[in-house]
Amino acid sequence: MKQHIQQHWGFWLTILVVIIGLIGVGLTRVDAGLYRQTVAKVTQVQAINKSATSDEFNNKDETYTQWVTVKILNKSHVGKTYRIKNTYTRSGAMDQKYRTGDQVFVRIPSDHSSAVTIQGLKRDTALAFVAWLALALLLLIMRFSGLMALLSVTLNAVLFYAAIQIDLATNGGHIYSLFGILAVIFAVLTLWLVIGFNRQMVVTLGATMAGTGLAVVISLIVFAVTHERGVTYESMQYVTQVPRPLFLVETILGSLGAVMDESTDIVASLFQLRQERPDITANQVFKSGIQIGRSIMGPLINVLFLIFMADTFAMTLLYLRNGNNWGYTFTMNMSLGMVQSLISGIGIVLAIPVASYLASRLMPREVPAQ
Amino acid sequence: MNTITVLGLVLFGLMVLVGGKTGATAFLSLIFNFGLLFLAVVLISWGFPAMGVSLVIGTVILAFTIFFGEDNELAAKTAYIAALIVMVGLIIVIFPVEHWIMAQGFSLEDSEDLEGMSLTIGVSFVGVAVTEAILSTLGAIAEASIAIAAGLSEIIVHHPQVSSKRLYIDGISIGKQIIGTTFNTLFFGFFGGFLALFIWFSGLHYSFGSVINNKIFVAEVLMVLFSLMGVILTVPITTWVMTIQHRHDLKLKD
Repeated sequence: MKQHIQQHWGFWLTILVVIIGLIGVGLTRVDAGLYRQTVAKVTQVQAINKSATSDEFNNKDETYTQWVTVKILNKSHVGKTYRIKNTYTRSGAMDQKYRTGDQVFVRIPSDHSSAVTIQGLKRDTALAFVAWLALALLLLIMRFSGLMALLSVTLNAVLFYAAIQIDLATNGGHIYSLFGILAVIFAVLTLWLVIGFNRQMVVTLGATMAGTGLAVVISLIVFAVTHERGVTYESMQYVTQVPRPLFLVETILGSLGAVMDESTDIVASLFQLRQERPDITANQVFKSGIQIGRSIMGPLINVLFLIFMADTFAMTLLYLRNGNNWGYTFTMNMSLGMVQSLISGIGIVLAIPVASYLASRLMPREVPAQ
Repeated sequence: MNTITVLGLVLFGLMVLVGGKTGATAFLSLIFNFGLLFLAVVLISWGFPAMGVSLVIGTVILAFTIFFGEDNELAAKTAYIAALIVMVGLIIVIFPVEHWIMAQGFSLEDSEDLEGMSLTIGVSFVGVAVTEAILSTLGAIAEASIAIAAGLSEIIVHHPQVSSKRLYIDGISIGKQIIGTTFNTLFFGFFGGFLALFIWFSGLHYSFGSVINNKIFVAEVLMVLFSLMGVILTVPITTWVMTIQHRHDLKLKD
């Protein structure tokens, strides 16, 4: 009965949080006062003309011009309206069409001779809406576990931010030790929050560290033997520090989550299995672990592979339409993602026997019911 | 030999060693998926509509990922049906959101890489953004549906007479166990790879306001959120499909 009341309360609390969240999303429409940049609302748009263009590679596109009337929502020019000319293309690689109701950032120059320009779309409302949708689904379906998952991601984000600040303060000098330590803290914190501090967590943590560590060692050996031929560090994007350490750290962090994920899947399923069948032997547990691992390693490697590769889509497309051949396009855009995927894959595969072995030897005779 | 080839061979060897035949086919699925991904870009660059390309390629990628990595027929079939349902559900969300948020193409931070390139290529980058978002979620959906289906089918193997209700509780329970770490896979997978960009933002003192409205950042966060939604929806949907499947199988046996 008490549990029933608790569940009841939990449900209404969740609904309340979801509703408050939705109100929060609505509030981002009127948050212009919080911005340092000048925010304006598009009150009217009027198409002026359109013209067909063709570039040196014979790509056909269309260029449009529109008048955008905006009303300033904050800062010193609040309430004033401006008419701004906006040019955009059908492909919209760097530009876009504006619609009535959009909120935009504008730059108002202090001298009156230069024109007011639109800096870009204000995207916070749409972003908040999608975040709200994801969180609402999470809380409604997963309840408390969802909350814990959210907490672990939030804490990891804070740690991640702190590590970046330290990295900047030291100019990237200690990037390996900094993010190496961070990786260990990430793993302990995440598993502790998701599983709780018990034997299952220790087994999972051991498998995660062993899997990731072995993958790094093997990759460094391969790097040394092949002299990193075909690893195009120069094609890395947004680089402000030495690219090679940055790339290696990105790879370790990228694979860490996946290895943790897999170890948890295997160990959790094995503990569940023991609960269903308490008389199962250690060898059977090990075999079941390998069996479960076999079926999830392919999909899991593909998770990271698709994440690493999807990012390169727009640039790859641009390379292809700019008359580059497939080989060069691959090397310049996809080879780094490929190396990252392969290293992560090695970690993911190695974690399977480690997790199964540790679980089969370290699992208690009786798993307490949860 | 270059590094990619050697790393690929090492991965192949390990997958065969640990996974036997399943490992070999899983490696094959990785190669096929790479081919499909590249095919998707090529098709879009030839002018095929991004939406159609993502639907067709997405369906095939899910099939390769799930059926090549899983040798248990019941688990694979269940996972595939559930993953398809989730993919269609996600497309219904992704399409309008991408048209609303307009975080497509490139941002000022990309300027250096874009030097000397023609941007007026006549292909809608909003469409490309939709494709990117859909394809990046597929791995997570396939992985979650496989994990749930494989866990449940193990239970069915050891406990053939397990009731539908018990199966449902077990499914959600496995889901709750994996959701936390799946989140972290996505978080690290997406943001670990964007360490350089975050150092750029911090180093150049972007304000919080400019970061949350920045095209690249928004596009990246959207992909994480879509993947999260995919994974969350996958848990009850896979369990539901498995329950129906199991009830059906039990009836056939009687």
